[in-house]
Amino acid sequence: MANKNKLNSSGEAASNKQKLKKQRSDDAKDYSSFKIVFFYCSLIVFLPVVTFFCLKSVVLDRFFTLTDLNTNIYSAVGAVLALHLALGLYIYRAYFGGKDSTKTD
Amino acid sequence: MADSDNPIYGPFFGVMGAASAIIFSALGAAYGTAKSGTGIAAMSVMRPELIMKSIIPVVMAGIIAIYGLVVAVLIAGALDEPSKYSLYKGFIHLGAGLAVGFSGLAAGFAIGIVGDAGVRGTAQQPRLFVGMILILIFAEVLGLYGLIVAIYLYTK
Repeated sequence: MANKNKLNSSGEAASNKQKLKKQRSDDAKDYSSFKIVFFYCSLIVFLPVVTFFCLKSVVLDRFFTLTDLNTNIYSAVGAVLALHLALGLYIYRAYFGGKDSTKTD
Repeated sequence: MADSDNPIYGPFFGVMGAASAIIFSALGAAYGTAKSGTGIAAMSVMRPELIMKSIIPVVMAGIIAIYGLVVAVLIAGALDEPSKYSLYKGFIHLGAGLAVGFSGLAAGFAIGIVGDAGVRGTAQQPRLFVGMILILIFAEVLGLYGLIVAIYLYTK
């Protein structure tokens, strides 16, 4: 009885260790995918805003011949283009990067 | 004092345009995020490795709100006191705001419904992913059409 218990406990310890290992590797995977998603999401949120105001100030500074209306429009179009560029990058990464991660699984 | 071309209530329409641009776009984006978010939450229990792919509807719903933000900032930048702001300009800005706002609302609804079903389906059949992305892009483009019309109106 005691022997059986011993065997059971050693088996449990081994399986616990394995579980811990798996948990750790899952955590590392989650962290790396979180980093990628966080990077692209912040890119998509902040890039158009930064582009809008940068383009506005730069275009205003460099080409004084443009009216205020035209400056606004060009910077809005530039912001939307930057936004779609970032979205395209994210979809590309999700499509092709996602394939690699499922292969390694 | 204000004459008939520049009435005191002229900027009211412009302000309402800026407000409706962001309010309705945010409504659509919120619906899209919430609806596809429930799908992602249900799907991720079984397939957590697909998180990166399944976040795409949420990102696309967020972009709808950015369209509204761009138009709202444009209109808010053009607002002025009644003596320098004609009633015509107010109508134009109201139209621009409503165009992007309601287009964003419609696109957000479409993204939410498609994102929910698409994400759940992708968990079972990964080849659905390309189709889901295409449908999401077509839904997203509805909001972009509203943005184009709004910017075109704004240049009048």
